[in-house]
Amino acid sequence: MELKTKLSVLADAAKYDASCASSGSKRERPKGGIGNTEGMGICHSYTPDGRCISLLKLLLTNVCIWDCSYCVNRRSSNVRRARFKPEEVVRLTIDFYKRNYIEGLFLSSGIIQNADYTMEQLVLVAKKLREEENFGGYIHLKAVPGASEVLLKQAGKYADRLSANIEMPVQEDLDKLAPEKTIGEIEDTMGTLRAEIDESRERARADKKSARPAGAGETFAGAGQSTQLVVGASRSSDSVILKKAEELYKKFKLRRVYYSAFSPAEFTSPELSRTPTPPMREHRLYEADWLIRHYGFSASEITAQIADGNLDLTKDPKLAWALAHRQLFPVDVNRASRSLLLRVPGIGVRNVDRIVKIRRFHRIGLADLVRLKVSMNRAKWFVVTADHNPDVFNLDKTDLMTRFRRPAEQLSLFAPGPATVVMGEI
Amino acid sequence: MIYADPGDSFAEWREAARGLLARGVRPDEVVWSGGGQAGLFGNAAADDDAAPCGTFRVPAEFLKLARAVACYESVERWGLLYRLLYRIAGGRRHLLEIESDEDMRCARLMEKAVNRDVHKFHAFVRFREIEVEGEKVFAAWHEPQHFTVEKAVPFFVRRFGDMRFSIFTPKLCAHWDLEELKFSPGVERVALADDTTEDFWLTYYRAIFNPFRLKVGAMKKEMPVRHWRTLPEARLINELIEEAGRV
Ligand code: SF4
Repeated sequence: MELKTKLSVLADAAKYDASCASSGSKRERPKGGIGNTEGMGICHSYTPDGRCISLLKLLLTNVCIWDCSYCVNRRSSNVRRARFKPEEVVRLTIDFYKRNYIEGLFLSSGIIQNADYTMEQLVLVAKKLREEENFGGYIHLKAVPGASEVLLKQAGKYADRLSANIEMPVQEDLDKLAPEKTIGEIEDTMGTLRAEIDESRERARADKKSARPAGAGETFAGAGQSTQLVVGASRSSDSVILKKAEELYKKFKLRRVYYSAFSPAEFTSPELSRTPTPPMREHRLYEADWLIRHYGFSASEITAQIADGNLDLTKDPKLAWALAHRQLFPVDVNRASRSLLLRVPGIGVRNVDRIVKIRRFHRIGLADLVRLKVSMNRAKWFVVTADHNPDVFNLDKTDLMTRFRRPAEQLSLFAPGPATVVMGEI
Repeated sequence: MIYADPGDSFAEWREAARGLLARGVRPDEVVWSGGGQAGLFGNAAADDDAAPCGTFRVPAEFLKLARAVACYESVERWGLLYRLLYRIAGGRRHLLEIESDEDMRCARLMEKAVNRDVHKFHAFVRFREIEVEGEKVFAAWHEPQHFTVEKAVPFFVRRFGDMRFSIFTPKLCAHWDLEELKFSPGVERVALADDTTEDFWLTYYRAIFNPFRLKVGAMKKEMPVRHWRTLPEARLINELIEEAGRV
């Protein structure tokens, strides 16, 4: 098969992995080599689906011995199959990188013979890039659940990020949809990664203290680990999903949990959901996830006020929470603690920090908030400012809810994809 | 009225501003121009030998902000910077922390636009490998919105230090010969020979696109249409949108 055809088949097969992050890792260009990472990820292009292209995202092969019913590459699917030679992936990565198309490579694969063999093949590509090509760019490798510790260790030596996908929030879902997978095995892999990452951080800290040259010890996956959940293939609700995500963040210090909305085209299993997952559901999950990671919310706080366990598609979870807790408002922007300010709808983390700074020097009025680009149509009901804020008197009106309601369709039109959502302030 | 024209140079603005400040000239007494638009009036601030050249201590953060704002493509930047400087020197030491101040807000917006332009510079340069006098070199054509070439190019040296490259833009061109970074005046256009790797890139772009979710607005927000003519993959966009409409 021609290389271009393989590229087409194996990029197409890789696009369901939502992660394309290339941040969080620092590496200088190796002597005589090419590429570096400076901590901040770069999106080199965008496709009309609104997603960014930061990495060359490929599967080594889309042949798979397993049969996860939500996956296009499952054994029983009749998609066209292809397999790269390791040196072909290396060549494409270097050629693309030199032209400034990408930050690096994200390589995943179907399960070839078993977990170890597959992991070995992925590691081989990364090793060639680092050792033969002197490549200093970003590498994200899939950590195959159940692969041996030795192989995972090698993977972390070459890769900036590793990810083992959890796929489903509970074992019952996996039993129905991905019978070969167990939460236990996937979490064991995450546990191994976490231990190695922690140890590597510890070493770096010790190096710094003893003034040994940085990087004297090897860095293990400098950009940490992440995972992905398929949303909407099973019946699990957002509550179950968010609870699981929160647990994973705590247990394994994940950098990110990605949510991928399932669309049932071409899928036949009777266990699968028949209706496509609304993109807005994925969007709301990202917002809730963001609140957990940066705003001091717990998963149970976010889901406590929702009846059927699914997030309200018509308003963001922070606004929904505030409306259900009106007794805590209005909040005085000139007095309230940082953690309380973080709970005000329409004020993002960066603006909270600015407000805390500004109010040391002068009293904050409505005009200040407008100039800070606070989202006033949400915030105005919930804040007291130095001057008169007429809207705050509507806080207790029962129809306040309806003032935020806009047609759901309109909302989904403006909803940015995950790549942009995660950067925004809410 | 005093007329001052630092062109597009931060160093010259700094020089002029120092002189004006030393003489206690109020911001509303100065008319700033840039990019050689001063015309008849010359550069009164710099010509004045009598100006004592004192130095003023300003927060380092102000210099950082001013350096970024100086790259913004608008004459207004010089007057704005002088106003900020005048107010800070006049005792408003904390002005930088009052992000809701009107001048500060403008300056931050300009800084943000410049940083974004630098970021997009790093993202959207597309090199072609071409042959020049029997040697393989990399060359790109890029159209930045602001005066960001000098700010943006060191990134490429750090990353591609082992490649000879040139980046051509209408504002300024940059050339890396493996040892030294040199700049030459901007050019109107440059014709670069084809590079077959671009076909592979287009193949990839087409394949990684998910036709089941169309968010053209989100794409345009991050990849503004005015950059499309320098991005090889952009020529596929309309076709992909049309195909997606059919799935
Ligand atoms: S193991 Fe991975 S590639 Fe194979 S069917 Fe399951 S999800 Fe798809």
